Amino acid sequence: MIHPATWWLFGCVLALVAGSSTNLITPAAIAIISIISIVCFRESAVWTRSLGFYLALAGFVILVRIVFRIFFSFSDPSAAIAISLPRFQLNFGFGAIEFLGDVSWNALYGALVDGFRLAAIILAVATATTLANPRKLLKSAPGALYEIATSVSVAINIAPQLIESFQRVRRARQLRGKSKRTSRLAGIVIPVLEDTIDRSLHLAASMDARGFGRRGKQTPRELLTARLLGLLGLLLNLFGIFFLLSGLGSFTAIALIAAGIVSGFISVRITSRRKVRTNLVKQLRGPLDFAVTAGLLVLLVANFSGWLR
Amino acid sequence: MIHFKNFSFCYGKNETPNLHRVNLKVEPGQFVLVCGATGSGKSTLLKAMVGLAPHFTGGQVAGQRIIEGKDHTDSMPHETAEIIGYVNQQPEGSFVAETVIEELAFTLEQLGVPVPEMKVRIEAALAATGLVELRDRKVTELSGGQQQRVAIAAALSAGQKILVLDEPTSALDPQSAHELLDFIHELCRKEKLTAIVAEHRIERLINLVDSVVIVSKDGTVEQGLPADLLSRFEFVPPLIKLGQKLNWKKIALSIDQARKDIVTPVHFKKFSHHSSGKAAFTFSDLTVRYGPLLALDSIAISAMTGETLAIMGENGSGKTSLLWKLREELAECAMVPQQASDLLFLNSLSQEFADSDEVAGVAETSTAKLFEEFAGRLDTSIHPRDLSSGQQLALVLALQLVKPSQVVLLDEPTRGLDYAAKQQVAEVIQGLTAAGKTVVFASHDVEFVALTANRVVQLSAGQIIADQPVEVALSHHGKLATQIAQVYQTDGLIALEQVNAGA
Repeated sequence: MIHPATWWLFGCVLALVAGSSTNLITPAAIAIISIISIVCFRESAVWTRSLGFYLALAGFVILVRIVFRIFFSFSDPSAAIAISLPRFQLNFGFGAIEFLGDVSWNALYGALVDGFRLAAIILAVATATTLANPRKLLKSAPGALYEIATSVSVAINIAPQLIESFQRVRRARQLRGKSKRTSRLAGIVIPVLEDTIDRSLHLAASMDARGFGRRGKQTPRELLTARLLGLLGLLLNLFGIFFLLSGLGSFTAIALIAAGIVSGFISVRITSRRKVRTNLVKQLRGPLDFAVTAGLLVLLVANFSGWLR
Repeated sequence: MIHFKNFSFCYGKNETPNLHRVNLKVEPGQFVLVCGATGSGKSTLLKAMVGLAPHFTGGQVAGQRIIEGKDHTDSMPHETAEIIGYVNQQPEGSFVAETVIEELAFTLEQLGVPVPEMKVRIEAALAATGLVELRDRKVTELSGGQQQRVAIAAALSAGQKILVLDEPTSALDPQSAHELLDFIHELCRKEKLTAIVAEHRIERLINLVDSVVIVSKDGTVEQGLPADLLSRFEFVPPLIKLGQKLNWKKIALSIDQARKDIVTPVHFKKFSHHSSGKAAFTFSDLTVRYGPLLALDSIAISAMTGETLAIMGENGSGKTSLLWKLREELAECAMVPQQASDLLFLNSLSQEFADSDEVAGVAETSTAKLFEEFAGRLDTSIHPRDLSSGQQLALVLALQLVKPSQVVLLDEPTRGLDYAAKQQVAEVIQGLTAAGKTVVFASHDVEFVALTANRVVQLSAGQIIADQPVEVALSHHGKLATQIAQVYQTDGLIALEQVNAGA
C-alpha cells in the first residue's frame, strides 16, 4: 500500500512536469502513467469512480483547444496549410474580427500540445484525488494538526447529510406558497443552515463527551518555542514569495522558502509531542513510498535541468 | 456513582434557574428514568451530569457534582470521558467516523488506549451489543435502533460505567424501542452499567427502571421509587392514569400487576364508527419510486370525510412517502412534515402570520386567529425557533390551514411531545374532524393513535398489510396493543377514556 500523502506528491510532481513541458511526448506519457496508476491502484469507494469523468474532461479540454484554434486562426503565409476553410469577417464597429480561414499544421500541432498539457495536468491531479483516500490521509496528519484534520474528516462525513437536509427542506418549502418577504433561496437556506448549525452543536457536544480535545502536558517553554518557530516559518515564506515574485533574486527566494518550511516543520514536530491519543489503524510510509518519492525527485531535477526538453 | 449536592444551574445571571438546588444520588448498576414536561429542564439535567452544562451550553452553576466520589463540578466533559458517556437523541448526528469499528475506536483513541488493548475492548463491546456482523458496515446505513446500539457500544468499549441517554427511542418504532430499552436494562444487570435515560413515553420503560427522577418546570428535582413518585405525577402513561382514575392505593407499574388489580368484566364505552357516507378521497393505485427503490407498491387507500386515519409501520415502511404522495394527488390539502420547523424562515410570529395571510390571499389576522385556536395567545414578537415543538406544529398547521383544504396530513405529529402536548394535538385533530375535515397522520405512538384515530392502516415494505378499525388494530391480539388493551384483554377496549371510573 502506498501512503496517501505519497499519491498527492506523485500527482503534484507529474502535474508540475506536464505544465512545464513544451513537446507532445511528455504530457502524453504523463497522461498514460496517470491512467495506468489509477486503474491499477484504485480501491472500491465512491471517490474512485470518477476516472471516467476525468477522462471525459481531459478529452473535452483537448477538443476545445483545437476547435478554438481552428475558429480563431491567424493566417501564417509561411507555414504549410492543413485545412482550408472559407474566411468570415464580422464587424462590430470597433474593428473587424476574422473567423475560420486557412489553418496551418503548426497551429494545429501547437493546439494539440496545449490541450495535452492541460489534459495531463487534469489526469495527474486525478491520480491524487482518486487514489489518496481522504480519510486515511487525514488520519496520518501529525498530532499538532489533529484537531483540524478531525474537523475536515467530520465535514466529509456530514456532506451527504447536508444534501439530504437540503432536499427535505426544499420539498417542505413547496407546502408554503411564494413568499413576498424573503426570496425563494432564503426560504430554503435559512432552515438548512439552522439545521446544520444544530447538528454541528450536537456533534461537538458528543465529541467532547467522548474525550475529544484532551491534551498531554507540555511545558510553557516548549509551547512558546513552537509558536515562535511557527511564526518565523510563516514570515520566512512570506519574504521568500515576495523575493520570488518581485524578481529580486531566485536563489535568495528559494533559500528563504526552504528555511521557512524547515522552521514550520520543527514547530509542528514539537507540538505533536503532546499527543495522548492512539490510532487503531495508522498507515506508515514503507520502502515503496520512499522509492516513489526518490523517483519523483529525480524526475523533478531532470525536468528543470532541461534533460526532458 | 453520580451525586448532586445542592446543584443549581441557570443560563443567565438574572434568569430563573433551570435547575434549582438539585439533590440526587444514582447508585452503581441502577437504571434511572428522568421525566418531566417538555421544557422542564430534563435535557439540562442530563447535560449537567456529563458536564456539557455549563461547559458547552454556557451558564452558571452552584453546588457540587460528584462522580465516583470525586468532585467534578468544574471538570470539562472530555476530562470525565472515561467514566461517563452521553448519547443524544439523534445518534446519526453524533457519529464521527465512517464505519462501525472506527466509530467504536474513536473514544478509545481519544483516551490514548494502546492499540492491542483497544482491539480487545472493541471486540468485547461488539459482542455485548450484538453488532459483530455489522462491524465493517457504514454507520449511516444502519437502522435507527442499530445506530443507538453503536453509540452505546462506543461508550461500553471506552469503559464508561455511566451512560446518559437523552430520549434514545424518540425516532424508533414501538418494537425497536422495546428491544433497545430491554437491552439497556440487561446491560445494567450483566455489565453493571449505570444508565440514566430521559424519556417522554414513560410506558416504554416504567417496569424496567429502579428509580425515577422528576424534573419540574421550576427546576426542582424529585427522586424516588417509580410507584411512589408517579402516582402523583401529572404526565403519566395510561397504565398509571388507570390506577389514578380507579383510585388504587398502590399504583400498578406493570401490565401483570395491573391485571391482578382490575375487575372484569368491565363496563366501557364502545367505539362508534358513524360514517358521513361521503368519500374524501379514493385512490386505487399509488406508487412511489426512488431510483431502483420501490417506496410504495401500488397502494389502494380511501377515506370518508370527518374520518381520522392513522398510518403505522416500521421505519422505512413507506409512511412518509404515502403522505407526500397523497399531498401530491389531492388538490386541496394541508400538510405538516416531520420536521415542522423546515417551513419556518421568518424572524417573528407576526411576520410569519402576515406572510401567510398575503400568500393565501385571505383577510389579515386569519392565520393568527387559527394559531390562537390551536395554541392559545402568544407574544407575536417571539422568534418561531423559540417555540416548543408542539407550538411549532400548531404554527405550521395554522399556516397550512388558512388555505382551503379538506384533508389534513400530519407526519409524526407527536414526536418529542410530552403527554400534555400530545393531549393538545389530539384535541386539535378532534376539532378538525368535527369541522368536517379528514385527517391522515403517520405515527409510532399507539397510545396517541388510540386517542385520536378511527382507522389504522399498517404499512410494511411499501404495501398495506392491514386496514382496520382502530379498536381492532390496537387490540390485545396484536403487536400494537395499547396498555389498556393489554390490561383488560377485552375486545373493543383500548383507551382509558372508555373505562368508567366506577368500574
